[in-house]
Amino acid sequence: MGMTLIPLNAIDRDYLSQLDYALSFVSEDVRSYRIIDNPLAIELDLVSESSKESVLRKVQELVQRYERREFGLPSKVHFEQRRELKPINAWEELISRRWVTPVGQGHVILRGPAAQLAGLVEAKVDAIARTFAAEREVYPATILCKTLDRIHHFTSFPEHIDFVAHLKGDLDVLNRFSTECREAGWSPAAQDGRMADADFAICPSCCYHCYEGMENWDLAPPGRCTTMAVACHRYEGANHRTMSRLRAFTQRDVVWVGHPRFAVESRAKAEDLIVQWAREWELTGALETANDMFFTQDYAVKASFQRQQQAKKELRLLIPQEGQSISVFSSNFHAMTFGKAFNIQVGGRPASSACVGWGYERWVYALFSQFGLEVEKWPQALKREFQAFQAAKP
Amino acid sequence: MNERDFMQDNGKPAIADQLRAFIRQKFKIPEQDGEFNDDVHLFDYGYVDSFGAVELTTFVEKTFGTRISETDLVAYPLNTINEIADFVWKRQKGAV
Repeated sequence: MGMTLIPLNAIDRDYLSQLDYALSFVSEDVRSYRIIDNPLAIELDLVSESSKESVLRKVQELVQRYERREFGLPSKVHFEQRRELKPINAWEELISRRWVTPVGQGHVILRGPAAQLAGLVEAKVDAIARTFAAEREVYPATILCKTLDRIHHFTSFPEHIDFVAHLKGDLDVLNRFSTECREAGWSPAAQDGRMADADFAICPSCCYHCYEGMENWDLAPPGRCTTMAVACHRYEGANHRTMSRLRAFTQRDVVWVGHPRFAVESRAKAEDLIVQWAREWELTGALETANDMFFTQDYAVKASFQRQQQAKKELRLLIPQEGQSISVFSSNFHAMTFGKAFNIQVGGRPASSACVGWGYERWVYALFSQFGLEVEKWPQALKREFQAFQAAKP
Repeated sequence: MNERDFMQDNGKPAIADQLRAFIRQKFKIPEQDGEFNDDVHLFDYGYVDSFGAVELTTFVEKTFGTRISETDLVAYPLNTINEIADFVWKRQKGAV
C-alpha cells in the first residue's frame, strides 16, 4: 500500500524532534515513518490498510500533545563551545576495528580503546564525586515495579520499561519450554502463556534505588551525597541507533538528598565542574535547559515547567556525522518528589533531591565522533589523560 | 456574595490565603516548616515539582477561573504564593 500523509498544521518546530521521538511508540501497525517538510507532514508506511483508521486516530492524539503550544520550548544555553569538526563515521569505524560490537537492538559491547575511554570517563566522574565526599553505593540492575509505581514512573514514561519476568515455577511449563527450545530453537512463541507476572523491571534510571533505600530515614542536615553506577535499560522503539540511543547503557550518578539549598547548590557546583571538563577536552556542545520526554497527555505543562524552572539541564555534544547532538550529562532537581514518596526527612520536612548523571557509552561515542579514532589527533588534554590512563590500566 | 466577588473585594490577600491552604494541604507541608511562607520560591525550595505544577495550575483555573498559560509562565514570575496571587488578582481585574 502507498504512503499515508498526515499534515502538521499547528505545531511549533521546537516540538518536532520530540514528536518524531514519540511517534516511534504510536502503533506496531506502522512499518516506518518520517516527518517531511514543504508542506510539513508525517509520512506513514502502514503494515496494512485495515489498520489505517486506528493508526490515524492514535497519530492524531499524539500530534495534539505537541500542537497549539503558545510558544516554543523555552531554552537557555548556560555554556557553549564550538570547533570546526569534520564528519567521522565513528560507528562504522569502531565496529570495523572491533572496539565496539553490536549485540542486539541498542546493545553494544565495548572493548579495547573504547572500553578504556569509558574507564577514563569513569575516573573523571570519580574525581568529581570525591569533591562532594560522595558515599559509594552498589545497586541491583533491576527494580521493583511497585517502586516505579510509587514514583509515578509508569505514568510519565510507560513506553520505555523493560520488564523482567521468568517462566512459571511449574514442572510441565519448564519441561515443555526446554523441549521446544531443544527441538526447534528458542522463539518468542516458546514463552507464550508460560511467563510468571513481572514484578521487577530493569532499572530505567540510575538513582531510583538511592531513594527507596533511604525510606523513612531522618537525615542530619544538610543531607547526604551518594554515587552509584547502574546498568540501565530504556526501550526506545525505532529511536535506537548507533551509540546515540542505546537500549542498554551504563549510567553513573552523583545524588544529593537533603535540604533544598544543599541539593540546588551542589548541583550547580557539579555543573561548573562539567563545564570546566568540556573546556579542557575542547568538546563541541552546549550545557542547556532540557525536559524529560514525558509520554503523557499533560506533556506540555510538565515539559514547560521543567524548562521554566531549569529543573533539567543537559550537556549535549555534537555528533557531526549525524548532524545532531546527544545528551552525555544531565543535571536534575526533583524537588521533594522522592523525599515524599519514601518519607525521607531532613530538619523536620521532606528532603529534596538532585542528581547529575553521565552515560558512559554516549561519552565514548561522542568523543570518537568528534575527534576520530587516532588518539594522536585528539585535543591535548584528552590525549594526555587518555594515554596516562592506558599506561596505568592497560 | 459569591466566592469570586469575595476574592475580588478582598483582593490579593484572599487569593493568597486560598493558595496557601491548598499548597499546604496538597503538598503535605507541616505546620512547623519554618521556611514555608508566601515569598518562598516554591520550586527551588522543593515544595512543588512538575507533577505538582500540573495540580497547582489546575487548582488556580478551577478556583479562580484564571488560566495560567504557557505564555504566562514565561512572561510573569509565578514562583511564590505572593507572585501567583498577584498574577491572579491582576488577571481578574484585566490588568495583565
